Amino acid sequence: MKKIAIWSLLSALALPALGNQEDKVQTFSLDNGMKFLVLEDHSIPNANSYLFWRVGSRNEYPGITGLSHFFEHMMFNGAKKYGPKEFDRTMEAAGGSNNAYTTENLTVYTNWFPAEQLDLIFELEADRIEHLAIDPQMVESERGVVISERSTGLENSNFRAIWEEVKGSAFRAHPYSWSVIGHESDIENWSLQDLVQYHKTYYAPNNAVMVVAGDVTVDEVKKLANKHFAGIPAQTPPREVHTVEPEQKGERRVYLHKASVSSPNLMMAFHVPNSRHEDYYALSVLADILATGNSSRLQDSLVFSQQLATELFAYFPESIDPNLFYIYAVASPGTTSAQLEQGIIAQLQKIKKEGITEQELQKVKNRRLVDFYREMATINGKANTLGTYEMYFGDYRALFDAPTKLEALKVADIQRVANQYLKKANRTVGILDAQEDSHEQDL
Amino acid sequence: MNKIYKVIGCISLVCISLGSWAAGFSLPKYEKVTLQNGLTLYLMEQHEVQLIDLVVTVKAGAVDDSKAGLAKLTAANLILGTQQLPRAELEAKLDFIGAQLDADAELEYSSVSASLASKDLDQVLQWVKDSLLTPAFDDQEFAKHKQRYLANLQQKTESPKAVIKDYFNAQLFKGHPYAAEIDGSNTSVAGISLADVKAFHKRWYTPDNTAVIVAGDFDTKQLKSKLSKLFATWQGKAPARAKLTTPVQPKQAQVLLVDKPDAVESTFMIGGAGMAMSNPDYVAVSVINTILGGRFTSWLNDELRVNSGLTYGARSRFESHQQGGSFYISTFTKTDTTKQAIDLALQTYQKLWKQGIDQSTLDSAKAYVKGQFPPNYETSAQLASLMSDMFIYGFDEDFINGFSERVNALTVDKSQSLIEQYFPSQNLQFVVVGQAEIIKDWVKGYGQLQQVNIQDSE
Repeated sequence: MKKIAIWSLLSALALPALGNQEDKVQTFSLDNGMKFLVLEDHSIPNANSYLFWRVGSRNEYPGITGLSHFFEHMMFNGAKKYGPKEFDRTMEAAGGSNNAYTTENLTVYTNWFPAEQLDLIFELEADRIEHLAIDPQMVESERGVVISERSTGLENSNFRAIWEEVKGSAFRAHPYSWSVIGHESDIENWSLQDLVQYHKTYYAPNNAVMVVAGDVTVDEVKKLANKHFAGIPAQTPPREVHTVEPEQKGERRVYLHKASVSSPNLMMAFHVPNSRHEDYYALSVLADILATGNSSRLQDSLVFSQQLATELFAYFPESIDPNLFYIYAVASPGTTSAQLEQGIIAQLQKIKKEGITEQELQKVKNRRLVDFYREMATINGKANTLGTYEMYFGDYRALFDAPTKLEALKVADIQRVANQYLKKANRTVGILDAQEDSHEQDL
Repeated sequence: MNKIYKVIGCISLVCISLGSWAAGFSLPKYEKVTLQNGLTLYLMEQHEVQLIDLVVTVKAGAVDDSKAGLAKLTAANLILGTQQLPRAELEAKLDFIGAQLDADAELEYSSVSASLASKDLDQVLQWVKDSLLTPAFDDQEFAKHKQRYLANLQQKTESPKAVIKDYFNAQLFKGHPYAAEIDGSNTSVAGISLADVKAFHKRWYTPDNTAVIVAGDFDTKQLKSKLSKLFATWQGKAPARAKLTTPVQPKQAQVLLVDKPDAVESTFMIGGAGMAMSNPDYVAVSVINTILGGRFTSWLNDELRVNSGLTYGARSRFESHQQGGSFYISTFTKTDTTKQAIDLALQTYQKLWKQGIDQSTLDSAKAYVKGQFPPNYETSAQLASLMSDMFIYGFDEDFINGFSERVNALTVDKSQSLIEQYFPSQNLQFVVVGQAEIIKDWVKGYGQLQQVNIQDSE
């Protein structure tokens, strides 16, 4: 879960370059519903596979919070042909490596390997999709691993610590309420039966999209996909997540005490629509105008001119359901959280009242283009971007419509979304600081 | 683009032929040129995307600091505006074209780097040149940056992972320049003035001590001509750097306990002296380290994570510099299992000597490092960084082109002699960050104990 601020590549432009890439992407689906996107790229003798599953913490409920992420770990712990430890051992001995990540919306498995090992990689994947063995002993040791992952995140990242609190307050109905890693007591207590059910429900071929990029041919991918994945039966599609977060009608505030924090950390989060909503691009541009680059509004004013913050960023993740638009800042020494908060609000107010300039809008459009080149410089960037578009926007081709949508944005659109969403009643503010909240003057 | 190509002071010219994948992984063609003023150019064309990555590398770093943190502050101040453009204007121009400009210093070198769309090359080159040769060194920008920098140093103490290596290096290399605190401390940085920065810049940022490295979507002939002109008037000579001795293994086992009273876990490093980047056994030793702690199925990760659930991850690595380096095992675990995890890490490390490496494990590690090698040199940013390392550490394309051969040459027998030679087995150095009150009694047995608080300036 290091998904902060990587989103910018997702709405890039560059018409000629994109046109070429679009032609190169080939897709096919197996009868069981498993979909494949293939991008041939012969620049290095390697290839990758990015397997996207439509399951994340939004599919959980109290008692099994964090199970999607735990499952991500369990997928490496043994299946039928390749038993415990064999998945990694076999892949590494063939020159491959792997990783995986889980978000609020998705679970993604990534393999990187010499291109000639594609057959083996598919065999390993198919084995764990169809025949995962959920070994009770492995479950127990994996609980310890995940609890360690959870605590090391909280120990080393102030963002992680305050994020949990803000989400918990901003959402009281929708599963985005809890962190992806889940509550510690759930990690300790979910049952074997929970795991078996989760695998059957979500790890069905009709719930997956695989992207392969690199030194392969489409024919070869198709042939091997049929060989390894076609026999895996489809399942009844998972239940839809129908919970809609009720409208927030007043500010919510949370405070977290951590003795070792040297200056206040502040997170502000506003409810916003999902990634398929018509305001998505305007909000994404607003995030850049606020905090991407030293000349952005908040960096320029709060970090450089007023020196109220030592660092800050805006975070607007892609999302299947309506989610949050975040602003995060670390106060400079001697600055109180109230001063920092007022400083941020003053800048947001300015955009709401006066709007942005043509120059600022053009700057974001220009930057997206160069960021897109940066993403397309690697086979991994290509695979991840294509898959992300397919999952969040319903079709990888949305990537190629993004330039038009971005180009169509006017300065007034940015001001409009700022006015619509950046409102006190719609926000949750979290403060992380070293002072204990309880004191003599109160309770 | 300037179409006229003139050979301006081209003293040496090296051309490397284009390798083919069929013969294994080899480095794309590049040119290395030294201009009359001593400036070295490395140029490598890569046309897949319309991007250029540029790195200017200077052979001066924290080992050359008169006050800890000076190399780092000097680099940072170069991009806080130039005599031609104040900081805010420079940044607005960079942001408008989506270009990134960074500057930083490490132990033995400093660098200014830029990532840009190829169409903006002329503009960005000018700004990079101005940053290097005629930085603004403005009093106010310096003071504000220093304030932010000091705040960041303080914030760094909030995260055990952010500080532990500084403590480890300070203990391991005590008395040697490699003990240098790259970031500096609150006290040392407070004592750095703009005059210090100017002096460091004047002393070390000279053409004979610098390489301009460019990889990406450009024409070599044209760019060579352009760079030759752009930097033709740059003059100066850096003082000869005293050659450092090779750091040696400390004479006794030591434990540095860094107290973090609100810690929920213990973070630790165990290790000793490592090897120089130029060591001919570097690749072979890294294959052995892959088995010990350099991949998911490594012994350390297998024991501490997979078998016992003590941690989210355990690893080991060699960190190499010009004259030597460090070797360390690193991991973290909840406070209660601190001793169990340290003991298991030590036991697992001992397997190198007690059990040794078998043929199938060695074969697997060889396949792994070879298979994972090409993606490390896929982008122009990665290739520019590689050429920067060539300049700093004095190696050439043979490092890449001979990689597979060196991996293949490693045998089981050879691995045992390399383990004896390079993996420290005596007087290990420990740093543990955690709740001292609880873990002190557990860790004091590993060596001579010293305790500090994480919020104290290092």
